[in-house]
Amino acid sequence: MLVGFPSNGLVGTFSVSYLIHHFKMKQIGEIEVPELPPTLFVEGGEILAPIRAYNKKNIFVIISDVPFNQYLAEGFALAVHEFCRRNAIKKIVIVSGMETINQQKDSPKIYGLVSHPSLENILYNNEILKFLDGSIFGTDAAIISVFRKTKIPVLVLYAECHPFFPDPEASIVAIVTLAKILDVKVDTQDIQNKIDKLRIQHRNLMEETLRTLQQHQEKQTRVPQIYR
Amino acid sequence: MKNEDNFEFKITLPKISSLFDDVEHKILSPLSCLREFDNHWILEFDLPLVNKKDINVTFDGNNINVEAKLKEKYSEEKLGKMTKFEYFKKSISLPGNIDNKKTTAKFQKGRLEIKIPKKIIRNSIKIS
Repeated sequence: MLVGFPSNGLVGTFSVSYLIHHFKMKQIGEIEVPELPPTLFVEGGEILAPIRAYNKKNIFVIISDVPFNQYLAEGFALAVHEFCRRNAIKKIVIVSGMETINQQKDSPKIYGLVSHPSLENILYNNEILKFLDGSIFGTDAAIISVFRKTKIPVLVLYAECHPFFPDPEASIVAIVTLAKILDVKVDTQDIQNKIDKLRIQHRNLMEETLRTLQQHQEKQTRVPQIYR
Repeated sequence: MKNEDNFEFKITLPKISSLFDDVEHKILSPLSCLREFDNHWILEFDLPLVNKKDINVTFDGNNINVEAKLKEKYSEEKLGKMTKFEYFKKSISLPGNIDNKKTTAKFQKGRLEIKIPKKIIRNSIKIS
């Protein structure tokens, strides 16, 4: 099962929504997160819930169009876990973005973090660099924390991206990696052609995501430097 | 040794400005972020669909103004009406003590990065 939600560079949102579209997946349900303010989207007259589940053959997808603050992230993680339990999901893959200092690179790198050694071979077989050191916070951390206590392993793919602007280029790298993992063919030419317009189109979601992530960081108690 | 330019000395959250598109004048508000480093500020603007030659950056006191013409019109529905936007435009108010004469800018992959040095005044304090 794939999971995508707004985070750095909107990599998860772009990648997972592209695959839903590419595979012509069918919506099979909506995910409810307690305490999420009532939100609905209307698209062409159709009412859409902000968190939806899709399926085609043996691939399930959960996508959220709203970012989560620290209080909602755990509720989302628990809802994802409940969905996995009911649908006998064997493993989940989260797609996210990772801030990179050097933005001049031609092609963003992708890193993988696994919650269980059984997924190490996915990294090895698909030449994905292992995420070795760093800290994770927010929704990714909430999902990993919840699933580490269960038998369902998690693989998190982190594509290097610009953290504050939508980054469809990093998303293409994530899509290509996901396609290798799923052993399917994808043609990213259409997303490539729309890169600039996607960046303009998703400005508001990016801004909302940053505000939500900043709420999270601002509320964290900072330990004095000497005690770190 | 770490490159000083890449070393984020202060842990500061980027300042995000709100987006207000001007439908009447067909102007889009670009995403931007301002980050503080040890001896300079980095102000970035996301300017997709723009060529370098069509960007104009000006200082006005402590404000920095960026205006850029889109290489093609961008259509979006606003307030139930399809609008064809032609420009990006935004003004950002900068903190004081900046050296605008030494400010530099570069444009890559549709992102404008403006490096604004701080005016650093150092006074030594006598220890009794």
